[in-house]
Amino acid sequence: MRATAQWLHKMAADSEPESEVFEITDFTTASEWERFISKVEEVLNDWKLIGVSSGKPLEKGVYTTGIWEEKSDEISFADFRFSITHHYLVQEASDKDGKEELVEDALPLSMQDLLCMNNDFPPRAHCLVRWYGLREFVVIAPAANNDAVLSESKCNLLLSSVSIALGNTGCQVPLFVQIHHKWRRMYVGECQGPGVRTDFEMVHLRKVPNQYTHLSGLLDIFKSKIGCPLTPLPPVSIAIRLTYVLQDWQQYFWPQQPPDIDALIGGEVGGLEFGKLPFGACEDPISELHLAATWPHLTEGIIVDNDVYSDLDPIQAPQWSVRVRKADNPQCLLGDFLTEFFKLCRRKESTDEILGRSTFEEDGKEVADITHALSKLTEPAPVPIHKLSVTNMVHSAKKKIRKHRGVDDSPLNNEVLNTIMLFLFPDAADKLTDGSEARPSTSRNNPPESEEYNLYSQFKSAPSDSLTYKLALCLCMINFYHGGVKGVAHLWQEFVVEMRRRWEKNYLIPGLANGSPDLRCCLLHQKLQMLNCCIERKKARDEGKKPYTSDRSPSGSSCDTGKAVDCSGGDYQKETEKERGEVGKSWESWSDSEEEFFECLSDTEELKGNGQENGKKGTKEGSKESANLKPEGRLHPHGKLTLLHPGEPLYIPVTQEPAPMTEDLLEEQSEVLAKLGTSAEGAHLRARMQSACLLSDMESFKAANPGCCLEDFVRWYSPRDYIEEEVVDEEGNRVLKGELSARMKIPSNMWVEAWETAKPVPARRQRRLFDDTREAEKVLHYLAVQKPADLARHLLPCVIHAAVLKVKEEETLEDIASVKKIIKQIISHSSKVLRFPNPEDKKLEEIIAQIMSAEAIIARARSLTAKFGIEKCDQEEEKEDLERFVNCLLEQPEVSVIGAGRGPAGSIIHKLFVNAQRMTESSDEVATMTSLDEELKRSGSSDERRLNLGAVADFPPPAGRELILRITVPRPAPYSKPLPQRMYSVITKEDFRLAGAFSADTTFF
Amino acid sequence: MDEDILTTLKILIIGESGVGKSSLLLRFTDDTFDPELAATIGVDFKVKTISVDGNKAKLAIWDTAGQERFRTLTPSYYRGAQGVILVYDVTRRDTFVKLDNWLNELETYCTRNDIVKMLVGNKIDKENRAVDRNEGLKFARKHSMLFIEASAKTCDGVQCAFEELVEKIIQTPGLWESESQNRGVKLSNQEEGYGGRACGGYCSML
Repeated sequence: MRATAQWLHKMAADSEPESEVFEITDFTTASEWERFISKVEEVLNDWKLIGVSSGKPLEKGVYTTGIWEEKSDEISFADFRFSITHHYLVQEASDKDGKEELVEDALPLSMQDLLCMNNDFPPRAHCLVRWYGLREFVVIAPAANNDAVLSESKCNLLLSSVSIALGNTGCQVPLFVQIHHKWRRMYVGECQGPGVRTDFEMVHLRKVPNQYTHLSGLLDIFKSKIGCPLTPLPPVSIAIRLTYVLQDWQQYFWPQQPPDIDALIGGEVGGLEFGKLPFGACEDPISELHLAATWPHLTEGIIVDNDVYSDLDPIQAPQWSVRVRKADNPQCLLGDFLTEFFKLCRRKESTDEILGRSTFEEDGKEVADITHALSKLTEPAPVPIHKLSVTNMVHSAKKKIRKHRGVDDSPLNNEVLNTIMLFLFPDAADKLTDGSEARPSTSRNNPPESEEYNLYSQFKSAPSDSLTYKLALCLCMINFYHGGVKGVAHLWQEFVVEMRRRWEKNYLIPGLANGSPDLRCCLLHQKLQMLNCCIERKKARDEGKKPYTSDRSPSGSSCDTGKAVDCSGGDYQKETEKERGEVGKSWESWSDSEEEFFECLSDTEELKGNGQENGKKGTKEGSKESANLKPEGRLHPHGKLTLLHPGEPLYIPVTQEPAPMTEDLLEEQSEVLAKLGTSAEGAHLRARMQSACLLSDMESFKAANPGCCLEDFVRWYSPRDYIEEEVVDEEGNRVLKGELSARMKIPSNMWVEAWETAKPVPARRQRRLFDDTREAEKVLHYLAVQKPADLARHLLPCVIHAAVLKVKEEETLEDIASVKKIIKQIISHSSKVLRFPNPEDKKLEEIIAQIMSAEAIIARARSLTAKFGIEKCDQEEEKEDLERFVNCLLEQPEVSVIGAGRGPAGSIIHKLFVNAQRMTESSDEVATMTSLDEELKRSGSSDERRLNLGAVADFPPPAGRELILRITVPRPAPYSKPLPQRMYSVITKEDFRLAGAFSADTTFF
Repeated sequence: MDEDILTTLKILIIGESGVGKSSLLLRFTDDTFDPELAATIGVDFKVKTISVDGNKAKLAIWDTAGQERFRTLTPSYYRGAQGVILVYDVTRRDTFVKLDNWLNELETYCTRNDIVKMLVGNKIDKENRAVDRNEGLKFARKHSMLFIEASAKTCDGVQCAFEELVEKIIQTPGLWESESQNRGVKLSNQEEGYGGRACGGYCSML
């Protein structure tokens, strides 16, 4: 072992210069403090903040328009964790290229920024940006929110670390440490450059010493802090901003009237109908207006602002800017509706638990229903029994509900319930009169194929004119206004009863597109469509006149399925009847007479043909038995094709429709098919499982075309598998010779196999491919066991869909760009989230929050429009300006007022303040007085009191005063380099802060 | 093995009967060619794991019957597919002409609108070509599809077709979900983020 090590050592020594091998630096005794400093240096190195900082002078407003970014890391001092964060304004790359032009001893960029006046009072920025005008800085702060560096020695230690790290690395970016409790936002820091240093210091007090509330006092502080030895000190440059807050909007009426619920119960169209969503804020979504009057470039001596007198009249300020303070989460109707509905998703109770019925009894009934349904399956002639049972069942179901729900404690009163049921089932009204069924009305008011209409496929909801969608809206409203989850459970109960009644009575469900379930819609919608398919088929069967009809030739069956999806109910049937003429009738009503219609035509020929064939090709198997059979179940002649052997016209048979599927069934089936695996056996089994449809079609074909052969079938069913070639026969004639394709000729392939097993049985006598009775019972059971929470989850996409449409509708009235953007975001976000089964609650909440924010923005726009009296404005041009101004207020953190106090917007704002002031004066409220008193105590002298009440009466005392004082003077000695000095101060009622940056020459003291 | 699979994708193969859908699939999954492959009944199903750009994706490929009559049955399986391979036979113009119908079908039954579509002209090994490559190209461009000509018999283009399709799907955000569920759609609202970290606009004063 030792030998190897030595050998390795030799190798190393040989390959490297000797000096490096023996140079050892020992860090083993480094203290925590040293380690902390080296970590800070390491981070500064990693972030490439070392060396000369460079950049162009800042453009005006770039702190607002530009992008700020930050980078964070974590370091620790012993076991105390700090986070170190680099905040910076993203600058274009070209800025950095200018490095070569730098003068060697140029001031660090941050020191230059101290003097730059282009970005004073940025509307939204990090506080250090606001206080010091920096474009880039690094902050070291305790990592945990409640940690703080409190003791003075610790603060000094930290500051020293910073100082050493900056010195060691040559980093010119200012480095701050946060001290004291986080909420105080106390920072101290340092910036080092070649021969210069800036110290960032801070004063933070709760109360302002009286002498420093005004410009003159602050100037004194600034000057004495600089301690500049020059006797005629150059004038200090001053920027001032005073902020005034307007809170009283009494002159405007708010809140918005909540919709009148009682009106709707009376059947009148009140504020809110079923099928509509409410909209708007219940409280004023704009709580405050802040007016900032700014004097950006003042010089010391031009203006007087002291204890007894002030030149600072906001009306005279050269710059005005306004921001509005939005109420946090104002209560908005649409948002409330959505939130409450979403809460339903988390309820655990079942419908029965909520309605307080004994589950046992209900279970018993459920079982009875199913057994009854099952018995129907096996019943050869179900019709009469079945008819009887219908009334029974509906009756008993109704009775049950009555029994269990006393008149008093039913969550929904009859009037509301009736209104809803009529809204959901508009056909019910017609039914009352003539007892016959009203056709679904979807096609009548089928809206244009607009993008809006098709939203349902993106949201996986349901079309906006569908029953499902309406149901969702009704449940939403009931949940909010009529008894919450109880009401929801009750309505659902009634809905399920109605579904069963329709199934029993063969009434189609209105408001659903015909055809198989639309997989783009939500599962509940698919289930209802499925039920409708069942009703349709059962109805067609029951309406058949033959008592024995077990045939399932479905109404609407042989309409090309593609088309059938779009056309609906009665119109559709009428249309197809027209289109198909006689043919259509034959399959639709399937009466004897019409069936004969075909058979009459063909019978004679057929018999002949059969005879011939029997003579010629008697040997052919299958023909033998079928030859004497009467053709059955013909749909119509193919037209072009004739049978190969008898030479008869080839008839297209009536076939069974494939089973309609909802997505859950489909999922199940796909799973079963996929589980068979990818082996040859698996594939074979899969094909066999799916060959039921093929077999059924073959049987129908055989029944319709006695004497046919597989070639005939293939020519109809899979024409490309019959290959025809022109050949010259022995006599030299060109004849068409056809044969099955190679793949159809593979011995015992599934097609041949199926053909051999197929017996000539017309579709109506075949085993049903789709058992409507069973499927309907399955759907009804499924509906019955849905808890209110399940229901809410099913329908949430519809509700979100409706909410988006509502927001869109309201937005068009206001035309707000940011809302348009949010709507787009909501749609794309929702279409991603809602398409997957069981979306996460968090994502759903995000969508709802987005909708709420859009609603709040619109409500704010309306509030501002009212406040600025845009509607009342006569002058077109002025009105447009005001509209633009209001739009900006909504979308930007701060908006400058064109023309300051003298512009059109300015004078409105002025008036708003004057009105508010008058109101405070006249209503001699104690509260107002005390607050005024406090204000006065602060300002001290009684002279000023008079001033405040008299001269500045138009505006309340400023809620905030910000001042920036700047100067370039040599420090610490008269012969030092002149360097930028800056002090920012802010005074509010409860806060006094001075943030100073004082630079000094470090080479030539 | 299964752990490093990025996602499972559902791919469909559709097109007129006899254009070679099952043959293309067989060539891709088993690298074999059987000139006497029985006509598909309903739908068939195969699985293959492929690696594209270092990402492993498990493909569940649903092969469908092309016969008109099966079209009432097969579209139900279109649900949830992320990619579709639309096949025609370059030696039979009618199979090319019918492509429009298939696209309509897709539009009607497909549950998502951002499904990635690839057009494959099969049987280029045959001599009696009836559809020019440019025609296929033009059709694909018109309907924003990927396009390739292939031969299941000679193996030309088959692997490539599937790989391209998968790559495209992987590149389409929101079309697939990561197996680990960690890559779900994230909604980033920059403004919110900014406001949360930096001190909001007026923090220094009121």
